[in-house]
This record gives sequence, C-alpha cells and structure tokens, in this order.
Amino acid sequence: MPGKFSRYCVTALLIMAYTVCNAIPPRPVPPRLVNDFAGIFTAREALHLEQMLTAFDDSTSNQIAVITTTDLEGLTPAEYATRTGLEWGIGSEKYDNGIVVLVKPKTYSSNGQVNISVGYGLEGAIPDAYAKRIIDNEMIPHFAEGDYFGGVAAGCTTLMKLASGEISEPEETGSIGVVLMMLIMCIIAVIFFTAVARSSGRNNRGGNNGTKGGGDILDAIIIGSLLSGGNHRSGSGWGGSGGGFGGFGGFGGGSFGGGGASGSW
Amino acid sequence: MKKGTIIIIAAAVVVLILFFWVKGSYNGLVKADEQVSASWAQVENVYQRRADLIPNLVATVKGYAEHESSTLESVMEARSKATQLTVDPSDLSEESIAEFQRAQGELSQALGRLLMITENYPDLKASQNFRDLQAQLEGTENRITTERMKFNEASRAYNTMVRSFPRNIIASMFGFGTKGYFEATEGAETAPKVEF
Repeated sequence: MPGKFSRYCVTALLIMAYTVCNAIPPRPVPPRLVNDFAGIFTAREALHLEQMLTAFDDSTSNQIAVITTTDLEGLTPAEYATRTGLEWGIGSEKYDNGIVVLVKPKTYSSNGQVNISVGYGLEGAIPDAYAKRIIDNEMIPHFAEGDYFGGVAAGCTTLMKLASGEISEPEETGSIGVVLMMLIMCIIAVIFFTAVARSSGRNNRGGNNGTKGGGDILDAIIIGSLLSGGNHRSGSGWGGSGGGFGGFGGFGGGSFGGGGASGSW
Repeated sequence: MKKGTIIIIAAAVVVLILFFWVKGSYNGLVKADEQVSASWAQVENVYQRRADLIPNLVATVKGYAEHESSTLESVMEARSKATQLTVDPSDLSEESIAEFQRAQGELSQALGRLLMITENYPDLKASQNFRDLQAQLEGTENRITTERMKFNEASRAYNTMVRSFPRNIIASMFGFGTKGYFEATEGAETAPKVEF
C-alpha cells in the first residue's frame, strides 16, 4: 500500500511538473487573434490578418487564432496548438468553434513547422485530410519562399470558407438586439453631442475659435464607443466586440480534441 | 425539561450539519466520478476511431504492396485484440488501464511497422487516398494524446478528492476507490511516427 501511495504521488507530481514546464504562452491581454510571438509579420500584415479574422468572428462567431512561436517547448506542433486552444478557450463554449493556426518559422538549425488545430465543433467542416491539404497546398509553398503572411492568409481564407459552411451565427445577442442597441446608442450620442455643442456654443460666444467643439465631438464618439463596448456579448467576460470601432471581443471558452493536421518544410 | 430541550436542539443541529456535509462531499465525489467516466468514454471513442481507420488503411496498402501480407495480418490481429479489450468504466483501476494501454500499444507498434514499409512504395505514398488516410491517422493519434491528457486531469482531480481529508472518510464509507492514470512515457514510445 505505501508503494502504491508513493507511486500516485510521483505520478501526480510528474503531471504537475509537466504542466508547469511546458509553459503555453499566457492568454493575451487585451485579447487578440493574431499573436506573432516569433515576429514574422510586419505590423501592417498583423493588423490586416487581425482585421480579417475579427470580421470573421463577428459575422460567424468562428474564432481563428494565428499563433507564431520560435520554440515549441518540446511539444509536437499539434500538442502545442491544442493546449493553447484549450488554455485560451478559443471558440465559443456553445459551439467549440475555434481554430488554431500555429507556425514555427524555419531556422538554420530546425525545420519550419505548421499546425492547424480544429475545435470539436468544426471537426465535421474541416476534417483532418482537408486541414492537411490546406497545409500542403496553400501554406507550405508560401512558407518555403519565406512568405509567411501569404501562406497564413491563404490558409485562413480557405479555413474561413470551410468553417462558415458549418457554423454561421452572426452574433450571440441576436440581430434585433444589436440593431436596437445601435439605435439607442445613436440616440444617446446625438443627445449628448447636441447638449455639448449647445453648451460649448455658449462658451464660444466669448470669442474663442471652434477647436473646442471638435474636441467635444471626439469625446462624444469615444464615450459612445465605450458605452457600446460595455456589455455586448454575454458570457465572454472580456468585454464586447463589434461596438464603436470593432476589435476582437475575446475568447469564449471553446474546447479542442486534437483534430487537425501538421506539416513541416 | 429545559436542559433536555437544549440537548435535543443541539443534537438536531449537529445531525443537520453532518447531513449537509456528507451530502456535499458525496455529491462532489459522484460528480468527479462521472467526469472521469465521461473522459474515459472519450478515450475509448478516439481509440475506436483509430480502429475504424485501420481496415481502410490495410485495404489501400494491400493494393500497392501485396507482398507485405504478414505485416498487414499482424496489424489486423493487433486491431482485433485491441478492440476486444474494453474496460468497464466503473473499474478504472491502474491495472485495467495498464492492460488497455498495452493492447493499444501493440496495435500502435504494428501500425508503426506498417507505415515503415510504405516508405518502400512510392506509388502508394503518392496516392491521394493514402495521403488522406495518413492525415486522418495522424489526427487520430493527436486526439488520443489529447483525450488521454484530459482523462489524466479528470482522474487526478478525482483522486485528490478521494484521498484528501476529511472527504476520504466519506469516500471510504461509500466505496469510492482511486482511479488509474495513463503512463505518458509508454505511449510516447509506441506512438507511430508518421513522416511526410
């Protein structure tokens, strides 16, 4: 019995040590879909990808996260991507519709590696064989030429096509709710703006020029967008999305089962 | 008379507290136990998924590599052995999990040998059907890794609950035993390496 006990202890310790050693990068704050830890994209490329994926998240609720890293922490690409997906909760909890696109760039001493990990809910739309074909036919040819952005963008475009065929839920709050909220926000903004304009107009009579009014318009817009960003998406706990100026709203707690494919070059 | 009432009330309070504590502990254990069973069902699911892929894989390889019948037969044999062995989810002891893992490990090794010989058949390697099967097999191996990890996590949470004081009193009272784990090293050794 003591032998068994110590064995359990050792196993538990090993599991704990394992989880601590294989450090998955922490969830980004503020949340974003493109996490270029390896620095292979230019700022413009990263922004372009982020906007593309955020728009896709807003219109279909499917979340595609792009992660690049120079070190897989001793894990296989599939393990690394799946663990990150689980840890960050990519995809919504209801649909488990997250996808991780992981890229480890090629260096002089090591092969480049790429993985697409698919959440439980999208395994039907993106079977492993399809993921493999996307990697082989659309991503690796670009990567081999050093065009990381082109490969990731091409892969994501195909993934978006496949994923939107399976799950296409515009917004969790429902379209009527969104329209109503926008309307209310517009009204509030108009009232606010009118009031501000009126009061500043009174102040300006003293001979000041019009710049102050411009600042107030900006204030109104900022406050309006803050109000809209407040409590848009229930359950995510990361604030809202799709409000004033867009921006990614946060990961929803989706789960992964290890589906997807990997490749190297 | 008054003293008797106080004693009765005190006893009732103690009994009530005890009842709620036992109820909470017991229900917590049941919940964790269910979690382990559910994780185990997922583990068996993904192993079954692999077993379902094998006949297709064997048929495809046979079309290109007729001379390798002994390797193909050994894969089918290991497959039938592995699928015959199922574990009762109410008895997920260390021994039964180790036995399950051994049978599946033999299948992994047989599969590894099969994939090794396919290296000698360029026509086979070039066929889209085989490439798709390989992708599916690789994905299934990843699923196995993931579900095993999740099972180990559920099992660890349950075991912590069963073994920590004072819940271990309730656990032993109602016969909640500890659950086993998958051994990580053994699986890593036997998982077939799929190279592209």
